[in-house]
Parts: sequence; structure tokens; C-alpha cells
Amino acid sequence: MKPGYKKVKRMTAFMRINHWVVAICMVAAVVTGLYIGHPYYQTLIAEPAVDKYVMAWNRWVHLMAAIIFDVSSIIIAYLYFFSRFEKPILKILPTPKNVVEFFMVFLNLITFNRVKKFDSSHADSFNTVYFLIFHLLLAWMLFSGLQLYVHGLESGHSSIGDWWPAVLHLATDWTVPFTGGTYMDVRYWHHMSMYFIIVWVMFHIYYQVWRTIYWQEGDIAIVFGGSKFVKKD
Amino acid sequence: MDRRDALAKMFSAKGVRVNTNRGEAYYEKLRETMEKRLNELRQTPAATKMDIHKALDAEGLSRRDFMKWASAITAMLMLPASFTPLVAEAAELMNRVPVIWIELQDCAGNSEAILRSDSPTIDELILETIDLEFNETLMAAAGHQAEAHLDEAMETFKGKYICVVEGSVPIGAGKEWCTIGAKAETFEEHLLRVAGNSAAVVAVGTCATFGGVPAASPNPTGAVGVQDIVKGKPIINIPACPANPANITGTIIHFVLTGQIPELDHLNRPKFAFGYRIHDNCERRAHFDAGEFVEEWGDEGAQNNWCLYKMGCKGPMTFNNCSIVRYNSGTNWPIGAGHGCIGCSEPQFWDKYAYERPMADANIKAPTGGVEKSVDEFGLGLLTAAGVGIAIHAAVSVAAGKKDEE
Ligand code: HEM
Ligand code: SF4
Repeated sequence: MKPGYKKVKRMTAFMRINHWVVAICMVAAVVTGLYIGHPYYQTLIAEPAVDKYVMAWNRWVHLMAAIIFDVSSIIIAYLYFFSRFEKPILKILPTPKNVVEFFMVFLNLITFNRVKKFDSSHADSFNTVYFLIFHLLLAWMLFSGLQLYVHGLESGHSSIGDWWPAVLHLATDWTVPFTGGTYMDVRYWHHMSMYFIIVWVMFHIYYQVWRTIYWQEGDIAIVFGGSKFVKKD
Repeated sequence: MDRRDALAKMFSAKGVRVNTNRGEAYYEKLRETMEKRLNELRQTPAATKMDIHKALDAEGLSRRDFMKWASAITAMLMLPASFTPLVAEAAELMNRVPVIWIELQDCAGNSEAILRSDSPTIDELILETIDLEFNETLMAAAGHQAEAHLDEAMETFKGKYICVVEGSVPIGAGKEWCTIGAKAETFEEHLLRVAGNSAAVVAVGTCATFGGVPAASPNPTGAVGVQDIVKGKPIINIPACPANPANITGTIIHFVLTGQIPELDHLNRPKFAFGYRIHDNCERRAHFDAGEFVEEWGDEGAQNNWCLYKMGCKGPMTFNNCSIVRYNSGTNWPIGAGHGCIGCSEPQFWDKYAYERPMADANIKAPTGGVEKSVDEFGLGLLTAAGVGIAIHAAVSVAAGKKDEE
């Protein structure tokens, strides 16, 4: 470690693993989701039906990514309130302190780091709110995706029991009136929201690299090693 | 009921599943209700001379054909096989059930679907034997005579007749364009008057159920479905364009048998008919899973009956039993004939389903309300805008930004 700097822990091992699992699943969901929406590679492959399940595999990967998102989201939602490390909820509540911090970090971004009036050693309100937007988008993908999924369980049965489609109806039927009243609207918004997520990811990656370059505190290392470095006062 | 059942019941209020195994006690009770009801009907005089046996004779169909049909309907209504004789009896008593069939903003396509086939199926014959008190397309009477007949039928069978509605109801700015009779009753008034005295209302076809084609954007007449107008009456929706005669007969027979409407889904469609997703019972589904799609009309894939998804098939989002019951005595159905499903039994189908490409490629009004774009075009626009924004920020950061000192 460079003299004059100290190390601050920012992400636990679990948070880092979760981050990369979500990142991989997101790529998988986008690639397979686009195929489901418009099968874009041709399958006039001279292959008998014996192991040719191109759409089925795409849907399988998509739904596997989805179920991993499900589990991850439930844990993340829990950690928002009950994390023993840092509870994100404390940074989201619009207390005067958080609001000031939010705008100070934003100011830092739009003044290209000429103004920096906040403590960048810990998680800040701006980034936490930005992550909240992601978690809400992901939750929306879950609800709309599970609504599309339950259409195929119209018998009311599933391999894990009748409770599963029943719970899915209860949890996701609201997405139909919410998006415009037809199943197609749910599908449209499931697809559209993918682009909002990709935009989110683009800025997310840019911003983390930008911080690393301009703040000179090794922010990008957080997601690999779990810590960054700040000047000792 | 054990706890799991109770929970499932609570949660699946909107599922489309019909429980077909409700235990002996339930079916015993149902049988009693039906027998009582059929007895009552038998006491009432037949309203037409036509009955199903005459109709069958005229078409050269045997009793055996009739019983085969009755067991198929029993299965369709999800009743145990032992109910077949009751269903057959109900069919024989159909000429005692008064029906008033009114037409609003429609093309009479549902009537045509039932009446115009060259070799009518038993479903269609049944509908010929019902006591059809009023139907503009079929009846001989016209003008004041027809109106007098309608009034009389409504009075005589007050609270007993089934009101069948075909066509949507205009309630917007243009509603005066559509009137009926010498007193220029608007369609809405006409519907409210006829439905008001009925025992139940059956909306037949997608126009009557959800507004259908007349309600398609920009909906110049402000067309809506029957259920948006008629309140406080049991309403059964039998959408599709046209509605399948098998489903109309099934619903009416159910009503004749039990005096009640069948179990309905969240769109008031009978679950026995609309509890199936097209895509899950489609003969081309194996090709969907294999990723073998028709790319153009008449191509290699089309000749090999591959999946029509890329030609715009909306089977994955459409609930109906066409893939099982088919049309015209099971002769064929759209996907069998090589055209994708256009989702005609779903609300707003004309705007949201009936285009010949997958949703992802369809030009839909952008969320901003502007030019019509496909969701991917809009999305790529969004990504480009974000990319440009990021590039500008990066460039200015390099030029004017300040790195913290190390
Ligand atoms: C968060 C990342 C996700 C992305 C980017 C994504 C993307 C997509 C896209 C683009 C489509 C195609 C829609 C169309 O144009 O027709 C799609 C379909 C679908 N998605 Fe997702 N999705 C995601 C998450 C989920 C989740 C969490 C589920 C939950 C089960 C899910 C279930 C589905 C289903 C069932 C379909 C329709 C597939 C079919 O009918 O065969 N997705 N997704
Ligand atoms: S033709 Fe339509 S309903 Fe049949 S498998 Fe393909 S997408 Fe599904």
C-alpha cells in the first residue's frame, strides 16, 4: 500500500460474488431474451431433431438466469434492511444529510471533479440511489418475466406443485393492467425495460471507471478485492 | 380442505385452471340440480316445432352421431362421462330456451360461422333448434313487425331468455351514427333495454366482448364491449373472430343444464374453452422448440410445417381452444392452414396482436408517443443517446476535468 493511504472495506465477499453472478446472468438474459423476441440465427442446420432444441435451450438459459436473479434479489432486498455490513436503506432515506450528499456527488460528476465536497471513502447516497434504480428495474423484469412464464402453466400444475403457478398469479397478475391491459403489453414492456437496464449498465461501468481515474482512490478494485484506498487525514 | 388447498385457492383466483375432480358428493349434487332443471324445462311448451331429432334426420345423421357429439360436449364442459345422457337431453330441450340475438356494430360473422357451412355440424344444428325469438339476419319479419315481435318476446319471456349480443357498442362521439328502428334507438339504449329483462347475457365474438375491430385505434365510434355497458347481469364472453360454434353451444348447454353460467376467467370467458394456451397445444410446437421457423410465405420451412412464430404467430400470448377443437367440425384452424395465430380472442387484438411479425419487430407507437418504431429501434436509439452522453462527459472530463492529486 502506498504510504499515506489507508484501506477501507466496501464490499463483503458475498456482495462481490453476487455482483458477478448478476453481471453474467444479465449478459445471458439479454442474449437469450433477444433471441426469444426475434430468433436471430438461422437453424436450417442439417441436423435431425434429436438434439436440436435451439429455442428450448435459449429459453432454458433465460429462465435459469431469471431464477438466479430471483434468489439474488430476495437476498439483496433483505440486505437493504438487515445487512450487518452497511444497510443501503440508511443511505436512501431522504434525510437532509443524504439529500445534501446526493447533490454533492452529482455536482462532482457534472463539474468533472472540480468540486468534491463529500467523503468518498464510504458508500455515498448518489451511488446507492443509482443502485436502487437498478434493483427496481430488475424487480420489474422479474415480475413481468414471471407473468410471461406463468402463461405456460395454464393447467395450474407445475413440476414442483400447484402452489407455484398460484403464487405467480398472485404476485404478477397486476402487471397486465399496469402495462395496458393485454399480455402483449407485458411482453412489450419486458422487452423495452431491457434497454433501460442496458443504459443503466453502460453508465454504471463508465462511472466506476471515471471515479477510479479522477478520484485516484482505486474504486474499481472494490468489486474485485472488496476495498478501496483513501488518503489518511 | 387442507391448508395447502386453501392457500392455492386463495392465490389462484385468477388462474384458468378448472378443477375436474371435485369428488362424488359434488357431482351427485350437480346431477340433482340438472335433473330438476331439465324436468322443469320439459314441462314448458316447446316454442318451435323444430327439434334436434328432426334436424338430425334432415341431415342424415344418426342417433349414434348425436351421442358421440354429446359425449364430446360432456368432456369439453369437463363433466364426468356419466353426464352424457343429461347433456343429450339438454340438447333435446334446447327448443324450450328462448334466445334473443341482437346485432350491434358487427359483420354478422358469428352468425355466419354458425349458419353458412355446407354440411352443418351438430353444434350448428343445435343452434338452429334453439328457440330463437329474434335475430335480424334470420327472421322474416321486418320494420314495425320485427319491433313488435321483439317487444312481445321480451315481455313473454321476461327474466328467462338469454340475450346474445354480436357486435360492439359505440358510445363515443359517433354513437348517433348507429341507430336501430323507427325511434332511432342508439345501440347502447337497444342493448340496455334487451339485456335488462334477460336471465343472462352472452357476448359472442370479439367485438361484443372487447370492442374488437371497431374499437381498433383510433376507434372513431368509441366502441366498447357489452361488459362495459351492461351491469348487474351475469355476462359470459365468448370472444374470437368468429367465435367457435362449439364454444357457443357449450356455453348455452351449460346454461340449459344448470341454469348457471360456467366457471369464468378474469375476462369473463368460460374456462372450459379459454383455459388453454394456443402455443401449448399447437401441432407446430416441436418446431418452435427446435428453433425451426418459417421465414417467408412458401419457403422451405413453410413446406415442412415449421413454426410460424417469425411470421407473427401470437399463439404464445393467446388463450383459446382452437388448437384442440378447431373449426368446421375439426377440419382445420388457422395455424393448421399455415397462417400464424392473430390473437383474435384477446382484448385489443387488432392493435396489439394482429400484425404479421413478432412483437419485437412490429412498429408500435413509441412510449414518447412519436413515430411508430419497433421496440428494438427505440431501444437502440436510447442506447445511442446514452452512448453519446457518456462520450461527451468523458471528452470534457479529459479536457477540463481535474484529477485528485496522488
Ligand atoms: C433482467 C434481465 C432480463 C432481460 C434483459 C430479459 C429480456 C427479455 C427479452 C428481450 C425477451 C423477449 C420479449 C419479446 O420481444 O417477445 C424476454 C422474454 C421472456 N422473458 Fe425475459 N428478460 C430478463 C429477465 C427475465 C426474468 C427475471 C424472467 C422471469 C422468469 C424472464 C422471463 C421471460 C419470459 C417467460 C419470456 C417469454 C419467453 C417465451 O414466451 O418463450 N425474463 N426477456
Ligand atoms: S405456430 Fe404459433 S402457436 Fe404454434 S408453436 Fe409456433 S408460435 Fe407457438
